[in-house]
Amino acid sequence: MNTYTICIFTENTIGLLNRITIIFTRRRINIESLTVSETERKGVSRFTIVIKHESRETVEKLVRQIRKIIEVMAVFGYLNDEIVSNEIALFKIATPLGSKPLDIEYINKHFNAWVVYWQLDYVVIEKTGSEKEIFEFFSYIKPHGILEFVRSGRVAVGKTEKGLVEYLPEYEWEYYL
Amino acid sequence: MNTTVSEITAEEPQPAVPAAKLIKPLTGAEALMQSLVAEGVDTIFGYPGGAIMPVYDALYDYQDRLNHILVRHEQGAAHAAEGYARVTGRAGVCLVTSGPGATNLVTGIADAMIDSTPMVCLVGQVGVKLLGTDAFQETDVIGVTMPITKWNYQVTSADEIPEIVAKAFYLAQTGRPGPVVIDITKNAQQELMTKPFEYQKCEKVISYRPRLVPKQDQLEKAAELINKAKKPYMLVGHGVLIAKAEQELLAFVEKTGIPVATTLLGQSAISVDHPLYMGWLGMHGNYGPNVMTDQCDLLIGVGMRFDDRVTGNPDLFARQAKVVHIEIDPAEIDKIIKADAPVIGDAKEVLTRLMPLVHQNDHTAWRNEFRKYDDIEDQKVTHPAIAPTTEKIKMAEAIDLLSKKTRGEAVMVADVGQHQMMTSAYYEFKKPHSLVTSGGLGTMGFALPAAFGAKVGDPSREVIAIIGDGCFQMTIQELGTIAQSKLPVKIIILNNNFLGMVRQWQQLFFDRRYSFVELQNPDFITIGKGFGIDGHTCANREDLSASLDTLLASDKPYLLEIIVEKEENVFPMVPAGTSVASIRLE
Repeated sequence: MNTYTICIFTENTIGLLNRITIIFTRRRINIESLTVSETERKGVSRFTIVIKHESRETVEKLVRQIRKIIEVMAVFGYLNDEIVSNEIALFKIATPLGSKPLDIEYINKHFNAWVVYWQLDYVVIEKTGSEKEIFEFFSYIKPHGILEFVRSGRVAVGKTEKGLVEYLPEYEWEYYL
Repeated sequence: MNTTVSEITAEEPQPAVPAAKLIKPLTGAEALMQSLVAEGVDTIFGYPGGAIMPVYDALYDYQDRLNHILVRHEQGAAHAAEGYARVTGRAGVCLVTSGPGATNLVTGIADAMIDSTPMVCLVGQVGVKLLGTDAFQETDVIGVTMPITKWNYQVTSADEIPEIVAKAFYLAQTGRPGPVVIDITKNAQQELMTKPFEYQKCEKVISYRPRLVPKQDQLEKAAELINKAKKPYMLVGHGVLIAKAEQELLAFVEKTGIPVATTLLGQSAISVDHPLYMGWLGMHGNYGPNVMTDQCDLLIGVGMRFDDRVTGNPDLFARQAKVVHIEIDPAEIDKIIKADAPVIGDAKEVLTRLMPLVHQNDHTAWRNEFRKYDDIEDQKVTHPAIAPTTEKIKMAEAIDLLSKKTRGEAVMVADVGQHQMMTSAYYEFKKPHSLVTSGGLGTMGFALPAAFGAKVGDPSREVIAIIGDGCFQMTIQELGTIAQSKLPVKIIILNNNFLGMVRQWQQLFFDRRYSFVELQNPDFITIGKGFGIDGHTCANREDLSASLDTLLASDKPYLLEIIVEKEENVFPMVPAGTSVASIRLE
């Protein structure tokens, strides 16, 4: 099983998420995570979809099928060593009176995680990093009592000199930057 | 084309009044009509209903410019649009209402998708304020048709209509063609446009770049393989007909001397008379063309997608051969069969550009190897089928005789099953775009509506529908459309009182356990007459020739029922999932 990160650049139109995910569904490929946001170009959305699959050939076929969607401008598939990627997780940890105190300094220094909100009975800790780092922190913090845990999908940029948007069709793009 | 309605509807210009005041604003429905006219649409296959009534009201004033054919079921509209598109190369247009009107189109849309047929479906939808409320006849048509359309879009304001219609036709007809659905909310049909109507044909969509012109390095690699090959073999698919590349194909094979076979939908891309035409291949294709895929050293697929009905088991298909795959859709490359030299582009462009790169050649000895299989097939299959000694008429002899009587020049619209395979096998196609059939989806009931669609598309040609008794009852109501539209479509029912192809499989692979395949049929001729369509039944061999003459001589629609042998089988046959080497002749 290899992890593939698929970056899809699309026009920002209604229903596109559905149009893309049914390509996965039809081929019985499970989506591990999915993140969508607008890019530095106006009206261009970027999907980052992570899947696990044993066959590179199947993933390549999948990429070509996604490319066929009219509103899709470009699709790129990557293995983990070809990208810089990150995820973000929020942990809501119970801190009732008399409980074992949290070692915030250790959490900051060792895990690079930060308290972003606190109340009398709980704190919210933000941890960014790879899936592995997030779950290492998860194991560490678990004994304190996790009230809520949420992890984002992966965001990734390619390890190439050019930005991926450079590969999009030529057009008078409007930029945010 | 630019058509501004201001030019058409403006009164004498009055200098004192601002120009904008003179422009009569159009409703969305009128804008739709104007857009279709500007796009060059001449025919609409449709069925009215609540959510499309404003459009039908506008259509009342456009009857002189838009020929609307009222079908009897929306599935008929979809297949008719396909038939129209297959003979003209232009998108067929359907107009239906929301909910059941739209869902009844679904089979036809799926059929058009898998057979790369251009089609634009205009579908009514409840008003924008009612969307998502489970309103009367509301269905999520965008959601339902998403996986079976090349593109779909929901229009919710009148102003969007011209641009979206233009985009729909552009997308449906370019690149690898396919069906497009436009879902138009009722308010968008009724409301006035807030800007002057202007129709501009779409020529570009930013995120859609079909590659028509192939890359030079791909061409050179393909040419090198072609020039080196000792036993090259070319498989021609629907893509050649869609690209209208018949002349280029002819020039290419005549220069290179490469033997050619077609797929089912590639039939008629090259005349059966041509010395380089070897036959067709696939599950029920000819003997030689199938088994030679195991002997060639180079396979050149043009505008075809190595469907499982062509390859059998793909792991065992043409393992010894290098593969050149010429195809407009990059997703087809390596999908089933790995290509050593893929060439992405339009078949016409690719063949034209390959011409100067390939050497003049003559593969006579190699070609003759096909012929020895032809002799075996003739003796074991063809001859007994077209000159039978059995009591009952055989399907093959009826098609063979029809082929001779029409000199192979008719448009054959075949339904799905044994009669379809017999039509493909025994009709000797001489002219391109002459076989209209449901290849990929195998939609029973396709032929009757597709036949009148084809007849509307090309009234100059004789259109003959070949339909089984099972298929006929799936869209039998379209006899009403044919009668009302006075379309001289010729209909032949090959009646064996069986769902013949399923019965054949049950006989061969399920130990003759005939499970629900025998039909108690109505009197088809009486039904035809009830619709106002004349016809007769032919049950004896000695009447067959005269019966076909009567059918062909009629200047009106005509229904000929031919009672054929009950348990005739279609051979050759490559059993599903096996290699072509397992082909059976009996």
